[in-house]
Amino acid sequence: MADAAHKFTVLRNPAEEGFLSAFDTAARDLPGTDAIASARRSAMDTFRRLGLPHRRVEEWKYTDLRARITAAFPASDDNDAAWQAVEAALGPMKSVDAIRMVLIDGNYSPQLSAIEDIGEVVRVASLSQALDDACFADMHASLSTVPAHDTTVALNTAMMRDGIALHIAAEPTRPLHIVHVMKAADETSSTVRNAISLADGASATVIETFVALEEAATQVNTLTHVGVGAGSRLRHVKVQAENMQTVHLGTWAVELAPAAHYEALQLTVGGAVTRHQIYLRFDGADAKAHLNGAFLQRGKQHCDSTLVIDHVHPGCESRELFKGVLDDEAHGVFQGKIMVKPEAQKTDGKQMSQALLLSEAAEFSSKPELEIFADDVVCGHGATSGAIDEDLLFYLRARGIPEKKARALLVQAFVGEAFEIVDDNEELHDALMTIAANWLSGDH
Amino acid sequence: MLEIKNLHVKIEDEGTEILRGLDLTVPTGEVHAIMGPNGSGKSTLSYVIAGKEDYEVTDGDILWNGESIVEMSPDERAAAGVFLAFQYPIEIPGVATMTFLRTAVNAVRTSRGEEELSVADFMRVVKEKSADLNITSDMLKRPLNVGFSGGEKKRNEILQMAMLEPSLCVLDETDSGLDIDAIRVVSEGVNRLRGPDKAMLVITHYQRLLNYIVPDKVHVLSKGRIVKTGGKELALELEETGYSEFVDEAA
Repeated sequence: MADAAHKFTVLRNPAEEGFLSAFDTAARDLPGTDAIASARRSAMDTFRRLGLPHRRVEEWKYTDLRARITAAFPASDDNDAAWQAVEAALGPMKSVDAIRMVLIDGNYSPQLSAIEDIGEVVRVASLSQALDDACFADMHASLSTVPAHDTTVALNTAMMRDGIALHIAAEPTRPLHIVHVMKAADETSSTVRNAISLADGASATVIETFVALEEAATQVNTLTHVGVGAGSRLRHVKVQAENMQTVHLGTWAVELAPAAHYEALQLTVGGAVTRHQIYLRFDGADAKAHLNGAFLQRGKQHCDSTLVIDHVHPGCESRELFKGVLDDEAHGVFQGKIMVKPEAQKTDGKQMSQALLLSEAAEFSSKPELEIFADDVVCGHGATSGAIDEDLLFYLRARGIPEKKARALLVQAFVGEAFEIVDDNEELHDALMTIAANWLSGDH
Repeated sequence: MLEIKNLHVKIEDEGTEILRGLDLTVPTGEVHAIMGPNGSGKSTLSYVIAGKEDYEVTDGDILWNGESIVEMSPDERAAAGVFLAFQYPIEIPGVATMTFLRTAVNAVRTSRGEEELSVADFMRVVKEKSADLNITSDMLKRPLNVGFSGGEKKRNEILQMAMLEPSLCVLDETDSGLDIDAIRVVSEGVNRLRGPDKAMLVITHYQRLLNYIVPDKVHVLSKGRIVKTGGKELALELEETGYSEFVDEAA
């Protein structure tokens, strides 16, 4: 083997070299048990072998990370910030009443968090605590829904420094809000691992919001492990409103027990390059997963939503609705893969991705994939992309609504369909609509 | 007063001329009907007055109260008092009818130099006017025209007309697809809006609607021109004889 290795000269870009040497330096100080340390080393070995994903890796053909990440930014130990600054960065999301957990540059900030009054209902731990806790450690050591060759996840496993672990035993009265704030004024990275586990019969809303205080280039690699117990219900919302220099790599690894109900919504307005991945597996029968997304991008922003839905058991239902609004030279990507294993009879899977192109140079790439090995299933997918409908625009203008406002109304209506999944939470729904409206008026 | 002078219109990017020297005057305070066979240019006339961009005015002019509107955008025309009740009202998913109405009313008020209505005042006015048209609050909450029946869509058009307080109302085949009860409700809504400060142009294929919205004058449109003008009895004559006379004459 040693001989074979010498026959190849592995060409790495400076970022890949940087990640490897950062790991060598930091490994001793990273939190976790021996098992975690070993998982970190093995993940880094995978990364050493495969490097950053590039366009010849099928799942990454539209998002060439090796070309887009040219340096590995250092991590930060900072965990404090002025609350006023955080509140301002949160924008409309600050109005959502919630139990709040704050991460500054990826480090848990107890002083900015507000986790009182949750008692027995929710157990909250920072990652470093959680890694030594039996209730979470397994979730971090094994990520069975994620393919081993996903090296963005390998990097996360190797380098995860902090995060929020939530064990939800019943039904908290308010949503749980994980607020991730990049504070750094220069190039900095954050590697976060969150875990959400719901006991059987529990019910909760968890929101993850990503914002930045400065315009600095940052790298955010975040992974949330989600385990939804039998018959429980999780609504999981993500808002990516970071600055326009951020490279954001986000993964949700989701496992659903029998009759679990999972509702997800991801809204993206920020980032230079954003990749949202959802790896979801039905681990029991009769569960439901509804995944919605909305991305509003302009300039040269790039947003990629990649989903892998694995139907393993019978009678499960999956729905995906992703809506993109793309202006200037922005590029939106949707990749949705639905797998139906032979035992997963009576699977009901439907997928739709739609893009509204506001300029000639904007681009939308959509790649649906169905792999069906069961014979009694209902599965379908669709994709559309186009400009604003001129007849709709004329109707609104004929009623006195000026063109700019009429266009904004139509764009809001277009993305608004994705938000309907949370329309019973008026505060949250309004906040998301306001973020979209602000984007349209050029405020993000 | 609406004055249309020698209006020539073709569809943009196509050569065919649809309106070919149309002359028409509707004094303020009057209701005129335009009748004509299919393809005579009735809907084109309504769209051109409202300012749809797919049509090109190659000659002639449209004056509203002495001012040419052909260079105005659709929203400027709405602010100037022009209202088109669409033959086929557009469905807009994701925009609640109430939100749409409020946005439109306040946009028009702002352009006219009036203050925006407060939420309370707006709600009061909508409630009153929608009750007149049998429009339920449930309809107002639903996305604009989505899942509305034909009658509901047309009543919704008349509600918009009532809310926007236009001075020139163009009704394009408002009776199409309506049963007799719906025609009655819609017509009563239109008649309430008649007044000495308003001009109305009622475009229809059938005489039936004119039993309810009684016009001061009836014009026959054929092959892009007004070929005959008369009183309300002209509509009844047409019901008897049909349009063949005009089609043959023009051909």
